[in-house]
Amino acid sequence: MQPGFAVLLVFVGGAVGAVAREFLMLLVPTPSHGFPLDILVANVVASLLIGFSAGRYNRRAINAGWHLTVTTGAMGGLSTFSSFVFASSVLMKASMTGALVAAAYVVISLVMGYAAVIVGMTIGGRATATRKQDAWKSP
Amino acid sequence: MLRWWIGRLVGERYKGRFPLGTFLINISGSLVIGYLSVRFHVDWHNRHGHGMVLNAFVLTGVLGGYTTFSSMQLDAAGLAAKQDTRLVLSYLLLSVATGLLAALAGAALARLQG
Repeated sequence: MQPGFAVLLVFVGGAVGAVAREFLMLLVPTPSHGFPLDILVANVVASLLIGFSAGRYNRRAINAGWHLTVTTGAMGGLSTFSSFVFASSVLMKASMTGALVAAAYVVISLVMGYAAVIVGMTIGGRATATRKQDAWKSP
Repeated sequence: MLRWWIGRLVGERYKGRFPLGTFLINISGSLVIGYLSVRFHVDWHNRHGHGMVLNAFVLTGVLGGYTTFSSMQLDAAGLAAKQDTRLVLSYLLLSVATGLLAALAGAALARLQG
């Protein structure tokens, strides 16, 4: 792949992912105790999809260009680490309850994000649709 | 974009098992978001819906595009597949702890400047 083309793919994917996240943040309500539910949803959804893409790629069902667009581009744009730690740091400084909410937020995010990647990889790593499988079997 | 480039630069120079590229990217992004949020006088709870355009652009757009949570988890799953449970845990915990410190340090730095 030409480096210039790869940059274009990441750029396009990143734009799509970042816009998707802004919409998601507007849609998902923030509970009154300040738990950053919107960012949690974005991160977990992105983890699921990045796992799925990795699973497809490992199976050779999608090519490197698609994989780069989805993982480094779109999912990198949809998920965010800076908002994740920043929201936690703000909560921690706010109050004792805030610190507890922040701790729960960090643990839930990490556990759910990790589980989502594994689930996504499992689904993505499954055999492709029957039609394609048959095509492989019959030379 | 910037993330991809740094990831490649680090990837070319460091060949160890620790996902250093994603780590450095996330930590530096956290530092910047902490710093800028104080500079912009952003109250996190006002961030939604009626946030300023500049906020939406820099905090969500640029930094959100630069840092990544999903790649971190994918790195972690990759390490786990290599039976490297200790490295997985230390990577995730170190990322979060250092990221938090970086965000706080960024905010403190901005306040020092007044």
